[in-house]
Amino acid sequence: MAMLKTVLANLLQPSRTRAPADMPPVPQTYRGALVHDAGRCTACGTCAFVCAPKAISFTQVPGISVSWHFFIGQCSFCGLCEQNCPTHAISLETAVPGVMNNAAGDGLRLESIIALKPCTRCGAAHVPLPESAMGSQWSEEEKGYCPECRRWAASAKLRSAFIPAETATPAASPALEGAGHD
Amino acid sequence: MPYTFPLGPYHPALEEPFKVKVQCQGEVIDSAVVEVGFSFRGIELVAQKRNWVEVITLIERVCGICSNTHAMTFCMAAETIAGIELPRRAAYIRTIIAELERLHSHLLWAGIGAEDIGFHSLFMEVFTLREKVMDTLEAISGNRVNYGMNCIGGVHRDIPDPTVYLPVLDELTRVLNEVVIPTFTQNPTAIARTRGVGPLTREQALEWAVVGPVARASGLDIDVRKDQPYLAYGELGFKSFVQEEGDVFARVVVRALEMLESVRLIREALLSLPAGPLKAVSGLPTIPVGEATIRTEAPRGEAFYYVASEGGNTPARVKIRTPSFVNIPAIEPMVIGQPLADLSIIQASVDPCISCTDR
Repeated sequence: MAMLKTVLANLLQPSRTRAPADMPPVPQTYRGALVHDAGRCTACGTCAFVCAPKAISFTQVPGISVSWHFFIGQCSFCGLCEQNCPTHAISLETAVPGVMNNAAGDGLRLESIIALKPCTRCGAAHVPLPESAMGSQWSEEEKGYCPECRRWAASAKLRSAFIPAETATPAASPALEGAGHD
Repeated sequence: MPYTFPLGPYHPALEEPFKVKVQCQGEVIDSAVVEVGFSFRGIELVAQKRNWVEVITLIERVCGICSNTHAMTFCMAAETIAGIELPRRAAYIRTIIAELERLHSHLLWAGIGAEDIGFHSLFMEVFTLREKVMDTLEAISGNRVNYGMNCIGGVHRDIPDPTVYLPVLDELTRVLNEVVIPTFTQNPTAIARTRGVGPLTREQALEWAVVGPVARASGLDIDVRKDQPYLAYGELGFKSFVQEEGDVFARVVVRALEMLESVRLIREALLSLPAGPLKAVSGLPTIPVGEATIRTEAPRGEAFYYVASEGGNTPARVKIRTPSFVNIPAIEPMVIGQPLADLSIIQASVDPCISCTDR
């Protein structure tokens, strides 16, 4: 009799298994598909450094570009690359990650190319810093400088703050120093 | 005529490889030999070749069930070496995750135990309940296992709105009190398969140095959360549960009461979550020369970590002693004189985790 009651009660209830369209909500913290924004990447290599299964690597074509590589077959979706990226170039989206066939070979591979730019001062090819990392401390012209020229510009600014322009010798004046770094 | 019966390494009861070789006299077990080491991964050696950030991801994979405990204990060891003081909010969040993990581990065990004694409807009930814990963990951390919550000096993710998880805790308390605990302790089938089965006396428990719920079911009142409070346990207060009988039934009761205590701890931690930062350090950690030993209470008992640093990018040594490593050999005294048919529930009653043991 008790069993009959249970059967009748269950007949009136909807199915306990979810229909395919009835998807459970995906939490905002879900670590899914990896997305890399080449515009924000400075190729500093932090993501490759913290990646335990070595799913992230960098290659370069000298003078032209740096490539960020990701292989899903090795990824453990721990999210450390996202957590440690200083410019927030990597994010793990709530979307389902791509195809992951096996760890040996034919899974999803991503490549993101960061084009090098010539320095507006010395012409050396370098990875441009993203706008967000530049902030307001650099002038429009200085934003195109390579790291070495930025260092030179910073030290020139520091020098001019300590030594007033009229007392400075001509050789110490930044404008007359030429395109050298030292 | 005595005969030898090998149970495993491909196991009828667990989905992990370990072997119990028993000598039987008819239906009764005379002696047993436990063999482990079928899934050795060499994590301790690999840990010496990974930098301090990568090691956390690696250590988290020591165990598939209590993954957070291992990453957390390792981070606590690194914090001790570097002299980093954990922010209070991070300590509370770690406590919440650790207790949710204990709930999910004990519920998993209760389900497997119910299945081992042929009680499939109870298995379904318990696993429905476990699913709610897994959903909570996923909502907080983004993953059902390997939560990736810990970093050296804090936690990666916040719990922005603690009150949304309270209804789940009410539901857990209700189903545990109304369905799971009464069925395990009052149902004639469950009692017949557990009471007096696989006894481990207090003396044997001391001799075999068992830890965690197995020790507490044999009358040993040991629990790191009480003996050496860490994280938020000192502030939240903690009650341990001890049973004197030492049989499978006692182990069921200890784990059941611990689940209710875990729910209480999570509720109090959520309600009294202090404000403040999540991490004590920013950027990549630098760990100076030094060494540390840390004990924490994993769901299966005391986990012990020894971490040494020589100041470089990688740890010099990570020694891991997991609770299952000491609990699994205790199956040998438990099964003597027991019927062969009870072997499966007896070895399941210590909640053996082969992933941890073989690490």
